[in-house]
Amino acid sequence: MKYLKVSCLFAFVLSLPLSTIIAQTDSTQVEEEEDYSLYDNLEFADESAKRFASVKVNGKSPDKLISVGYDFQGGYDIDAGAFGMFERSNQQLNATHGFRLGANIPIISKNNIIIQAGLDFWNSQYDYQSPDNLTHPLHKTLSENGLNTIDLSVTAYKPLNETTFLLGRVASGMNGDYALGDFQPLNYNRYSVALLWGKKPTDSKQWAVGVSQTYRAGELNYLPIFMYNWTSSNRKWGIESLLPARGDVRYNFSPRSMLFVGFDLEGTSFRIGNDSELSEPYNDLEIRKSELRFRFKYERQLIGFIWMSAKLGYRTNYSFNVDRLEGGQEFFRGFFGDQPYVMENSLTNPLFFNFSINLVSP
Amino acid sequence: MKKTILIAALSAMLFAFTTVKNDADGDRLTGIWEPSNGKVKVKIDKIGDKYYGKIVWLKEPIDPKTGSPKVDKNNPDENLRNTPLKGYRILKDFTYSGDDEWSEGTIYDPENGSTYSCTIKMSDENTLDIRGYIGISALGRTDVWKRLKLPSKKK
Repeated sequence: MKYLKVSCLFAFVLSLPLSTIIAQTDSTQVEEEEDYSLYDNLEFADESAKRFASVKVNGKSPDKLISVGYDFQGGYDIDAGAFGMFERSNQQLNATHGFRLGANIPIISKNNIIIQAGLDFWNSQYDYQSPDNLTHPLHKTLSENGLNTIDLSVTAYKPLNETTFLLGRVASGMNGDYALGDFQPLNYNRYSVALLWGKKPTDSKQWAVGVSQTYRAGELNYLPIFMYNWTSSNRKWGIESLLPARGDVRYNFSPRSMLFVGFDLEGTSFRIGNDSELSEPYNDLEIRKSELRFRFKYERQLIGFIWMSAKLGYRTNYSFNVDRLEGGQEFFRGFFGDQPYVMENSLTNPLFFNFSINLVSP
Repeated sequence: MKKTILIAALSAMLFAFTTVKNDADGDRLTGIWEPSNGKVKVKIDKIGDKYYGKIVWLKEPIDPKTGSPKVDKNNPDENLRNTPLKGYRILKDFTYSGDDEWSEGTIYDPENGSTYSCTIKMSDENTLDIRGYIGISALGRTDVWKRLKLPSKKK
């Protein structure tokens, strides 16, 4: 019997988790003052390991993983040009408004490469003052269908070493007056590509130069890009820019509250008249829409990882002309081409505001 | 009776061996690590049966605004805003869950004062995939940390 008791005690002691024993020991220990100078000169245990330029810049506003927003432009006029059998027509709008939803999810996130997938949906409803008296086809389709954008994108950040990096983005946009659930053919999708080479000389400064195929000016164009992100040493002031798409001067009230003054250049090519049975010149039309928005923007943390963003500013129209693209076949006009538009339109400029709730990235 | 005692003792020894091995596997997390941004070095220790990581080195240890050692000025808790960043525990409460993974912990980002749920995956002996996330793991970002060691002596 004694032999049994000893054996059981032995078995019990052996079965105690080692950590429990250690914990008991630890709880009696007094933490000694640490000599931090021991950590000044360390090297990678894996000699082949490298350091890479981080994508983050001190003080910069957080990236948005998910965004739910609403955009509202006040009243303005659209002067639609003569087109086919239709004469020039000027109409007043009460507002243009719609939801803007976005998601930007990291797919691969490593030191030596980051790949993100993006999905954006923007809707614009055109609220005419006299919707029952519209005859011009541009006014009619804007009033009845509005414009939708669904944009799928992949963004890749590839650091080459501690200070140099590549940044690339490919996007495919389905833009038009289609109804959700009755999408337009994929051959009308418009593609944007950007590739940049950049440097990050300090944790507070990052710049890059590159080229892009873009629709920011409403129609196909090839433009140089310049990215510059910088934060002052006191972390109060900064610049966030990706020209020509956007540029901002930033003031940080705190890491969780910041004010921006700057602009956004928004644009793409919208297919309109989605009835394929229409004949020339009434089919395969695209609005070359581009607008420059000068605005104030305020972003702040609401709770945890939920942030708000509010914009208030002045929208100036850059282009709202219409091209005819047979079968969706694109062509290049650039800034200096002389190909005529099938409809030349002009817009007056309203105030706008935009509000969004965002889930921000760690 | 002797047979029963022998089986009991062997079972206990097997359990104890498994526990010791689990502890040893989990303890591979301890050491000095460098996040991808290179701004800090973090020492991971085991305290009790959990793992904690504290900042032991800062690339820029002095706050240019105050001229003093950096403190946790972005902490949402005002009482902690004078705590020195050197020595600050940014990894907390990790337990080893097997398969080279430590979970149930949190990571704190002194840059913005946010605390995230976090899992740690050891992809090899010298590399950690540290995933901070919000609610669900898909809404997060993985940072790769590299193990550091004392410099090898030059010949």
